[in-house]
Amino acid sequence: MTDQKHSKTMQRRDFIQTGMRLTLALSLGGIGTMAALKTAKGDTVWQIDPFKCVQCGRCADYCVKTPSAVKCVHAYDLCGYCDLCGGYLKPDAIAQATGAENQLCPTAAIKRKFIEEPYFEYEIVEDLCIGCAKCVAGCTSFGNGSLHLQIRHDLCDNCNECAIARVCPADAISRVPASEPYKIKGDFTANNKDQTQSREE
Amino acid sequence: MQKKLINIFLIIAAVAVALIMGRDFIVNKSGKNIENAYEYNIDEFRQVDSSLILYREVFSFPVQVEIPKGIALCENQIYIVAEDVFLKFDREGNLLFRKVLGASPTCIACGCNGEFLVGMRDHIRLFDGEGTLLSRWNSFGENTVITSVVVSGESVFVADAGGRVVYQCDKQGNVIRKIGEKNEEKDIPGYVIPSPYFDVAVDAEGFLWAANTGRHSFENYNADGSLRTSWKTSSVNIEGFSGCCNPAHFAVMDDNLFVTSEKGLVRIKIYDQHGQFKGVVAPPAAFDRGATIAPEVVVDGENRIIALDFERKSVRIFEQK
Repeated sequence: MTDQKHSKTMQRRDFIQTGMRLTLALSLGGIGTMAALKTAKGDTVWQIDPFKCVQCGRCADYCVKTPSAVKCVHAYDLCGYCDLCGGYLKPDAIAQATGAENQLCPTAAIKRKFIEEPYFEYEIVEDLCIGCAKCVAGCTSFGNGSLHLQIRHDLCDNCNECAIARVCPADAISRVPASEPYKIKGDFTANNKDQTQSREE
Repeated sequence: MQKKLINIFLIIAAVAVALIMGRDFIVNKSGKNIENAYEYNIDEFRQVDSSLILYREVFSFPVQVEIPKGIALCENQIYIVAEDVFLKFDREGNLLFRKVLGASPTCIACGCNGEFLVGMRDHIRLFDGEGTLLSRWNSFGENTVITSVVVSGESVFVADAGGRVVYQCDKQGNVIRKIGEKNEEKDIPGYVIPSPYFDVAVDAEGFLWAANTGRHSFENYNADGSLRTSWKTSSVNIEGFSGCCNPAHFAVMDDNLFVTSEKGLVRIKIYDQHGQFKGVVAPPAAFDRGATIAPEVVVDGENRIIALDFERKSVRIFEQK
């Protein structure tokens, strides 16, 4: 009777131990497989193709973040540094000057800085930019198209389904490899921006 | 009975909610019917008073190429350069020849003796009227972007948007002088060329005119390269030049009227030699909705305006009303 009880206890202990070992092995295996798959497939993030973008204004309103994680970026290498900037000035601006009444941007997110006659540098103040693309439309229509929209990954939540991609009329937003998170125009990269900032400093 | 009514009501409500959600999904998915609160609207500037339109389009024909680059007119024949080809058309739009250039041209000009100067990015190639290569000039430099060429007497003027200068050359391609470089002593403001649109032409007296697009101005130079005169007009309204790089192309008529072509808000207009707005050849409405590229313009002996429409890939001929 006592032996039977002991044997039964041992069996239960064995069962629990075996079960735990199996669970551990399966968990480790699963995690390993997932890691391997993730490494092979690569992470992806949302990004805008600036050459497909039609400046519809929806990036400003449909992003789940407020203000939008979509910001205007400036390809300095492409910019003409124009006094007559179509991205900065309203088409019917009273003067080519920094007065609010002349500015196209609804939030005054573009800073205009005199370089030398007649060249001006334009810098995006990201905290103010709402990603409305008004300046992009002006720059694309009249200038070189150096102003364009990009999803900033330090701000983006990388939602499973991007709320802006869903309403984008040009299907300009798609997933891109996280290793190449920006679709850039000209020679512009995030590093260029850093270089520009350090030049100014 | 009451339970049945409640069930029917709930089913109807569920169907209505599903319909509304479905409609919203489909409408939003296709991106239609959502107003753009931040729209960049220049529609009001597209409207032109019909009394200002002095010309009408009388004929057009497709140029049968993918990327047209430039147009020239010589002895009633139309010459086009495109991606890597050189084409000749008669006035009815019949293709007379098509020659492969083996390089990408940027512009073309009619020379003398039926020869043609074709601008490549950094050099000029000379062709005969049948498209046979006669000679090739040396490169003007690594940063050169040739956008326009014009011949006047013994001189060839080459506009370099990259170097922001006009080269005055002899017929063999030797540079005689650079014209238009910034020089405060000589009161030359210097060219501001934000994008590769930098056109040159000569007037009836053979003097050089250059479009200083970043300043919305025209500059006129003497034979020695000194500034003779200039005029500018800057406005998004019909009387002026809009945007940052206009006029992108221009031509000078025999009576020294200027035919200007603008990008962005695409329109072709006429000014006198002092910059006084005279009228419109083709208003924005004459071009495709969404078109932004300025057509290149040439003028024939009867003052008809021949435009190379880069968006429609066609030659369009305008005649005075």
